[in-house]
Amino acid sequence: MYRLLLTLLGVIAMTLSASAGFVSPSQMGTGALLLKTNEPGKYVEAPRVATDFDITITGPIARTRLTQHFRNPTNGWIEGTYVFPLPENAAVDSLKMVIGERIIVGDIKERQEAKQIYEEAKAKGQKAALLDQERPNIFTNQVANIGPSETIVIQIEYQEAIRQSGGLFALRVPTVVAPRYVPDPKIVVSENAQFYTVKDSVPDRDKITPPVLDPRKSAPVNPLTLTVHLNPGFALGTVMSSFHDVMAASLAGGAKLITLAKPEFATRDFELTWKPLPGAEPQIGLFAETVNGSDYALAYVTPQVQPAAEKRQLRDVVFVIDNSGSMGGPSMSQAKASLIYALDRLDPMDRFNVVRFDDTMDILFADTVQASRDNVQAAKSFVGRLEASGGTEMIPPLRAALRDARPDDQTTLRQVVFITDGAIANEQEMFDVLSMMRGRSRVFMVGIGSAPNSFLMTRAAELGRGAYAMIGEGGQVEDRMRELFAKLENPAVTNLKAEFDQAQAEVTPSPLPDVYQGEPVMVLIKMPDRKGMLKLRAEVAGRDWTLALPLDRAEKGQGIAKLWARRRIDDAEVAQTMGTITPEEADKRILALALEHHLVSRVSSLVAVDKTPARQPGEKLTRAEIPLNLPAGWDYDKVFGTEQSAPPVLERDAKLDVTLIAMTKSPVSAQKDAIKTVDLPQTATPSELLMLVGALFTLLALVFALFARRARLA
Amino acid sequence: MTAELDTLPAFWMRRSRRARKGFREFQLQTQASSPSEKRPRPAGVWLLLAFLSAALGLIFLGEGLWIKAKAELAQILLERAFTQSIVTGKPVKPWRWADTWPVARIRVPRLAVSSIVLAGGSGQALAFGPGHLDRTPLPGERGTAVFAAHRDTHFRFLGDLKPGDEIKVTPSDGLTFTYEMTAAEIVRWDRSNIDAQASGYNLALATCWPLDGTFSGPLRYVVHARLKPSGL
Repeated sequence: MYRLLLTLLGVIAMTLSASAGFVSPSQMGTGALLLKTNEPGKYVEAPRVATDFDITITGPIARTRLTQHFRNPTNGWIEGTYVFPLPENAAVDSLKMVIGERIIVGDIKERQEAKQIYEEAKAKGQKAALLDQERPNIFTNQVANIGPSETIVIQIEYQEAIRQSGGLFALRVPTVVAPRYVPDPKIVVSENAQFYTVKDSVPDRDKITPPVLDPRKSAPVNPLTLTVHLNPGFALGTVMSSFHDVMAASLAGGAKLITLAKPEFATRDFELTWKPLPGAEPQIGLFAETVNGSDYALAYVTPQVQPAAEKRQLRDVVFVIDNSGSMGGPSMSQAKASLIYALDRLDPMDRFNVVRFDDTMDILFADTVQASRDNVQAAKSFVGRLEASGGTEMIPPLRAALRDARPDDQTTLRQVVFITDGAIANEQEMFDVLSMMRGRSRVFMVGIGSAPNSFLMTRAAELGRGAYAMIGEGGQVEDRMRELFAKLENPAVTNLKAEFDQAQAEVTPSPLPDVYQGEPVMVLIKMPDRKGMLKLRAEVAGRDWTLALPLDRAEKGQGIAKLWARRRIDDAEVAQTMGTITPEEADKRILALALEHHLVSRVSSLVAVDKTPARQPGEKLTRAEIPLNLPAGWDYDKVFGTEQSAPPVLERDAKLDVTLIAMTKSPVSAQKDAIKTVDLPQTATPSELLMLVGALFTLLALVFALFARRARLA
Repeated sequence: MTAELDTLPAFWMRRSRRARKGFREFQLQTQASSPSEKRPRPAGVWLLLAFLSAALGLIFLGEGLWIKAKAELAQILLERAFTQSIVTGKPVKPWRWADTWPVARIRVPRLAVSSIVLAGGSGQALAFGPGHLDRTPLPGERGTAVFAAHRDTHFRFLGDLKPGDEIKVTPSDGLTFTYEMTAAEIVRWDRSNIDAQASGYNLALATCWPLDGTFSGPLRYVVHARLKPSGL
């Protein structure tokens, strides 16, 4: 009797746990190679052997080479999907892959075309790789036909402009994509209604544990290594790593070589900040390069803003604080500390309000109220009581914060300060609401935690004509908030315009955003011929401000053309969000830029195909097969493990169950059904089975009742 | 699949073996003992078993009926949300905690059926309505839009569709596209032969095969349809 019950309970439990042990790409925390399993849309993570960042900073530009090694743990041929984070303003231009003894170099193609090339190569049994942009800061790389026990090296290169603010130069290297709250199911591929297709036929309930432990916790993971060559172009003052212990060595010419002091897991962003020596601050910088007959220049200027003499303008501030589950732990206390700091900075004449949200939201006051002592005290105790839990529904609180009771009031500055880790996947929806409703409000983003969503922070601040600050740990709260408040309280550089002697110069960002105190004005220019003057005009603290730069007196720089193109792509996306151009027009502009400058974007991908057929299965990867041009600074034994390959992994508690991974005995070309078709979900409910079982029990009840009657009569 | 196929009959066989054994013992007892000492199981035990079975039976029956009722009831809320999303032009969640939203209405005029299609092919979505599979185009777009639904609820009618039948699909922009059924086939779930990027404007409706099956399996019944040239 109870056996049947257990069977049924077991089936129900199995249904619930069927998805355990698998992940989908949107759940991935770090850059990881995901291997397809026998269940559609489900992946397990391949053992990661090594991750290396090699960063060269030259003046205002950083070029990063990211190399990761993965091993195919099965004895069959597999296809992997590799998900990884990059800075949101990264111009990704190079994909190289070393599989076995081959190096494959990626080529930029229109996204659909790239996909087609990849699929064709895959069907033919060739090794191929496809690099797509999923978000400006999240990329995926698919790798086809990885041989048995092969080690794969994936190398990606990108560049970005160094951020400056308040005399501080900063580089942030994301190593983790924080798991995102996905309000819509569209990204999560979960055809998990596989009611009765569970392989385990053991009906006992106590044996129905997930088939493997969560691979995100159990796959052996290697520490990451990181090297920064810092040539700032000025006399270096202090250099600091915000979250990691580093070692620094001085090189010739004032440069520094910075490496991690000890191996680290990729669990938090790496941030390096540096300052010039007092007196060596570069107020103005101008760098240029020539690509394909066009000149490109990068100029930055830090305007000297006089401390505001007149009485400061009154503010009307709405603080929004995220208390969703992803903010749990230190993030929540940092967010609270930031907000309490902000409340303390209010002037009693200012008006303010506080909104908190997870998947629900509360607005403290019906409208903004005077920052009287009582009101501020009420807000502080409201904030003090917050606890992190629930999902992240960011749209309603954003709408509430942007709803302006006095849209025509010119006497106050309306500001929205949004404190969150940004762990959401519907960024575009946020941007749409922001551009539609911003009115006179300015939006300031405070990114909290070890891996905030930098794309959301920077783009939202740009659309909201505000600024952003990133707070990675408790100790940073005061410094970063003070800096942000200096921005909130002091007049910005507004109405910024760039003028040229020659007519054909193309400037980006376009339109030039307002600049807050301590930030440099940064412009990228493309022009046929670099001569004449660049004139910057702006309004600073109510006064006119102009500056002229002779363009021919620029220093040589590298990668400026790519940064220019990358920033033009942002311009097109922003213009689309603001509704000034259609999505089709934006796609067209982005594609033209991306193809010309060899960049990955939302409409262009890098695809690499190995023209020679894949090697025979079963061959073991040996040292001799490894190409000699390993990235500089790589130690072979560290990377591939010593002979017989016990990779130097910091083993966590469990092993990967290789039987879960979908593999084939040969490269896919040998399969008949290489045509990709749509997998169909499970479309039977257990309702009829349940009813049948119900009916059987009812029948059984009747039989028992009959026995009971007989027994009584006897 | 195998779990209950194997264990259910096995269980019943064991059950009946025990019953046979009990019966033999009963026969032995009747032969060995005098009529006055004849003591089968007391009535109370049988009664308890009867109540237990009845309760379990009701639970399972209720669970099964609930699945069907949910599928029907949800459509009322979905209808409302869909109408709203046509008006606003934005996805509207049918209820606050929903993880999906209506994307289209599908109607077959000849069979007088209509239901609201939800985004995604997840089990959660399919419990309430047909699902529009991710990574397939929207109806009216190039390629093959794929809808899937349970054979015992929303796509119960697939078996009644005949080639030539009109299938009308209204995505949330409010335009109605008329498709015409061309063929149907039985395929494995992972070898569907449906190419989402196929040329032309196609629609595929999928449900589990056999249509009146009790257990779920790897086979799917797929109805193929093509966009009718607009009759303007």
